[in-house]
Amino acid sequence: MTASTITTPRGIAQAAVPREGIVWHRVRRVLVSIGRPLSIFVPVFFLGTLFTFLLGALSGRSPAALQLGDAATPEAVAVINQQYGLDRPFFVQYFDWLGTLFTGSFGNSWANGVPVATLLGDRAVVSLSVAGLALVIGVVFGFLFGVLAARFHTTWIDRAITTGTTVFSVLPPFVVGIALIAVFAVGLRWLPAVGFVPLQMGFWPWFSHLILPAVALSFDTVSDVARQLRTGLVAASRENYVIGAQVRGLSPRRIFFGHVLRNGVAPALSVLGLKFPALLGGAVLIEAIFGLSGYGTFAAQSAVTGDVPSVQAVLVISIVLVVVFNLLVNVGLNRLIPSASRGV
Amino acid sequence: MVKTVLKLPSARIALAMLAFILFLTLFGPLLAPYDPLENTALNLAPPSAAHWLGTDYLGRDVLSRILAGAPLSVASTGLVAAIALVVGAIPGILSVYLTSVFEWISLRVVDTFIALPFLVFAVAMTALLGNGITQAMIAVGLLVSPLFYRVARSATLSVARSQYVEAAILAGATTGWIVRRHVWSKVLPPIAISLATTLGVGLVVISSLQFLGIGVQPPTPTWGGILASDLGYLQQQPYAPVFPTALILITVLAFNLLADAIRDAAGETGRALIGSRAAKASKARRLAAAAQAAVSPVSTTAAPTPQEQP
Repeated sequence: MTASTITTPRGIAQAAVPREGIVWHRVRRVLVSIGRPLSIFVPVFFLGTLFTFLLGALSGRSPAALQLGDAATPEAVAVINQQYGLDRPFFVQYFDWLGTLFTGSFGNSWANGVPVATLLGDRAVVSLSVAGLALVIGVVFGFLFGVLAARFHTTWIDRAITTGTTVFSVLPPFVVGIALIAVFAVGLRWLPAVGFVPLQMGFWPWFSHLILPAVALSFDTVSDVARQLRTGLVAASRENYVIGAQVRGLSPRRIFFGHVLRNGVAPALSVLGLKFPALLGGAVLIEAIFGLSGYGTFAAQSAVTGDVPSVQAVLVISIVLVVVFNLLVNVGLNRLIPSASRGV
Repeated sequence: MVKTVLKLPSARIALAMLAFILFLTLFGPLLAPYDPLENTALNLAPPSAAHWLGTDYLGRDVLSRILAGAPLSVASTGLVAAIALVVGAIPGILSVYLTSVFEWISLRVVDTFIALPFLVFAVAMTALLGNGITQAMIAVGLLVSPLFYRVARSATLSVARSQYVEAAILAGATTGWIVRRHVWSKVLPPIAISLATTLGVGLVVISSLQFLGIGVQPPTPTWGGILASDLGYLQQQPYAPVFPTALILITVLAFNLLADAIRDAAGETGRALIGSRAAKASKARRLAAAAQAAVSPVSTTAAPTPQEQP
């Protein structure tokens, strides 16, 4: 549609001037809805990577200390530092490292010189499976509980959901994890407690190992999304346009999906964007509890041994995921509620 | 303000719970009946008269370990909140008054801190910078500081751009007087709420780090560390995680209750609530006095009260 308006000759387009105006208006709205968040997320990306890189520089760790140990002579240290490019100015190193990010190699591990990307390869499956499933559980059950609580506002269902989500949002993730293992793995023996099985071994073995970690990780998201959605829906259902729709005789279902849900979903969506970093970050704890070898345990082990590039790779991947996810949430919000793009 | 908070029953319950935790923190190591690091042959013993909470996988007394771990768990949480308060609130207030360049940069830095995956970053920072409890506190304090920045900034914004402050300046009030009279009362309650919330969150994060063995070395007893060693012996002692968990939950719950109480007492609705409660109490007293004076018409005077409550 955009291409046709650009290539149409002037004479023919003359008749369709208002139409062209509408198209241009729509294009501009999409551009604004992408451009405004970009103006926030681009600085966030650069600052985030800068902090990450600065962390490595401040740590005072070096590949020479890792590889040579006590046998380090000043000459050998200098050779290794030159090999890893650590004798250059800070910002040269930073931009060089940024370059390796865009090619996807993430630099070489300080422990054994292997590109970090190959070390991360199969761990990605574990982490993304758990975080993805947790996100799905968080969205589905968060929306379910939120809608139920708002639909049966001020009844016992609402009170039960509100109390439950308040209690669960206070529980630390490791407490939830231990409780789930104690009940479902040790007590009832329904599900395996630790480990990970690849999808090739069959759906149920893979899924059964994922359920407990994903549920433990999603508790926080479920309760926050449910609480925000309940508040948003209750506020939206009191608006005059809902009363107007009822007076005009629209079906309750149409009022709910067309008016209440569309206008009341904004706080829940923004909270989902804010919760996403916690979902990724919580993986480090959940993976340790459930004995999974994903990004979190990899980052923690690398950080303890001092393998700076590996830690930085995990941190940057999570920053990029968070930024992209929030960008998507923002665009979605602008599509749903055009007034959100005005910053209202 | 403090008096209003203390009038709420939930605040008094929260303070009682916190006093208990503070007592454990200050005197716990002295009260411990055994050496928390002493190994005995009595592995994984159930609770008994000699070992109230049983022993762990190395035969160490669990009660002694929990008591000895209290200072490292609770005091470091307090320091985390203090670091976050200083690092977050001061730039937050300054961002309203200093140049727009400072404002833009500080806002982007705060956005970045919020976008960072919290726990992974805390683990990486602590472990890379030397893997000590000091590094852990600084890392967590920095990462939770955006809350204080935002709260302090929005509270200051609402005061700085208000007409009554403008009027006070025109009337010749000094900056110190304006800060004491207007700014303080508007900025302090939201910061107090955030402080209480942060203390709860901080304990969870510090315990999480201890659970992972980051920031403390294994033999040192901490609440998170005790949980981590319990996890390996769930088959033998499924009840063991309950004790450290209960302490962590009591603390977090108390801080959340306190935050809610401050929010209630500071807000307009809270004042109304407390006012109506006081009115109700005095009315009840008057009714009781009237009932004692004239015994027969009790039923007629008591009936209207429930209707007037809302």
